[in-house]
Amino acid sequence: MSLTVGAGERVALIGPNGAGKTSLLSAVAGVVAPAGGHVRIDGRDMTHARSGAIVRSGVSLLPEGRQVFPSLTAEANLLLGAYGRVFRREIVSGTLAYLARRGEIRERLERIYDLMPKLAALRARPAGHTSGGEQQMIAIGRALMAEPRLLLVDELSLGLAPVIVQSLSAFLRTLNEDEGVAILLVEQNARLAFDLCPRAYVLEAGHCHLSGSSAELRDDPRVRGAYLGGMEAARG
Amino acid sequence: MTTFLQLVVSGLSVGSGYALVGIGLVLVFRTTNALNFAQGTYAVLAGLTTASLVHHMPTPVAALLSILLVTAVGLAMGFATLSRGGETAPLISLIVTLGLSLVARAVELLVFGDAPRTFEAISAHAWDLRGVLVQPQYVLIFGVTVLVTAALSLLLRRTVLGNALVACSDSHRAARIIGLDTRTLGAVAFSLAALLGAVAGVLATPIVPVTYDSDISIAVNGFAAAAFGGLVSIPLTLAGGLVLGIAENLVVGYVNPQYELAIALVIMLVLIGWRSRREILAT
Repeated sequence: MSLTVGAGERVALIGPNGAGKTSLLSAVAGVVAPAGGHVRIDGRDMTHARSGAIVRSGVSLLPEGRQVFPSLTAEANLLLGAYGRVFRREIVSGTLAYLARRGEIRERLERIYDLMPKLAALRARPAGHTSGGEQQMIAIGRALMAEPRLLLVDELSLGLAPVIVQSLSAFLRTLNEDEGVAILLVEQNARLAFDLCPRAYVLEAGHCHLSGSSAELRDDPRVRGAYLGGMEAARG
Repeated sequence: MTTFLQLVVSGLSVGSGYALVGIGLVLVFRTTNALNFAQGTYAVLAGLTTASLVHHMPTPVAALLSILLVTAVGLAMGFATLSRGGETAPLISLIVTLGLSLVARAVELLVFGDAPRTFEAISAHAWDLRGVLVQPQYVLIFGVTVLVTAALSLLLRRTVLGNALVACSDSHRAARIIGLDTRTLGAVAFSLAALLGAVAGVLATPIVPVTYDSDISIAVNGFAAAAFGGLVSIPLTLAGGLVLGIAENLVVGYVNPQYELAIALVIMLVLIGWRSRREILAT
């Protein structure tokens, strides 16, 4: 299969459990080594790059299940996102780079608090003592601190109440339209994915089953049957 | 009563050393999941090096140089022990660090010989508090331990590097996702642990002379101190080290000096047994 995300685009990747969506994102983000294939960012081959190099090239992963650092405060979580961007294996130069850019990083932090005012209220609270929706916001803020041009979103809606998913989805749309951050959204909730993203891929058992505009896919009988039908039926 | 207080006072100083070694173990275990069997080696190496260097330079300079050397050794051991992802199975790390500590023993034997080494305490004059003799070295080791522990807590809580170490202990995967190199951070934890062990070794050697093979008993006492905090809590490990030092000294003073190490082992086994029982009951 082949999947491309252009600058400033919103693209969805849907598919059933076990289709390989999370593995795909983990491989792109450099968290696990890909078994095969290529990853290119801005035309440069990044197939075997470590996660740090991927983050520096402007691609950040918002992981499944949020994975905030529970014993650190929300603000410390956010600041580590900026540290991850400058981190080097010779730890001294990376830390000095972070300290040298501290003013800039604080400005970025304030901007993120402006974008997500709820985070400002949580800043001193340990991330482990916040709700699921709040943790998802902390995870988004942490990813944004690395100044990504592409955000890989793994299961935005997992385990969250529909009303919270709605507001997070609206936030990602604003982020994309106003800040130009491209989004690749992996979702089991196909309706949410089609609503947010104009273009989509359908993954099945590691292969690209279908791709095209969300408007077309939404009406495709195969997609309706497999991904949307269940929900229609459930709604009666 | 005077004997009792005397034993408590000297127990606090020895216990401070155990606490520093134990906190090193906790730091490494939390950050990397590795059990560092070489934790006693750092204290021994620092003590032996300082005892040799004091013949050529002032004691504080010798102490600082030894601590720096041992910190570098700890960094190298960290990279040798940790796999690419920065996480190592406890059993594998135990075997690797045990091997490294045996190598260190052989090197120490070649370089320093097998005689116990020591050097002069900061002052030979002891304060007499109603019959209880308090050596300035006791006060120094206790004070430095409290200061170092406080500094470490500040580092972990207030600095971005410390927060990154905490992030590793919270979730290795998430730390990697945001671009942190968990292997490098693990090696930093090893070097901080070596620094703590070295400080303990340098401060305790004037009270308790070291030989090349003292590392096992130091490591066992450090493990026992860390067991108080379940291998995760720094404040409880500090308290555990002090309690252990006092308990050992009381047994040495009132019962039989040969039971010193046995006390540490018994306390450790009881604590581990109690914790695992509680965990089994909790699940």
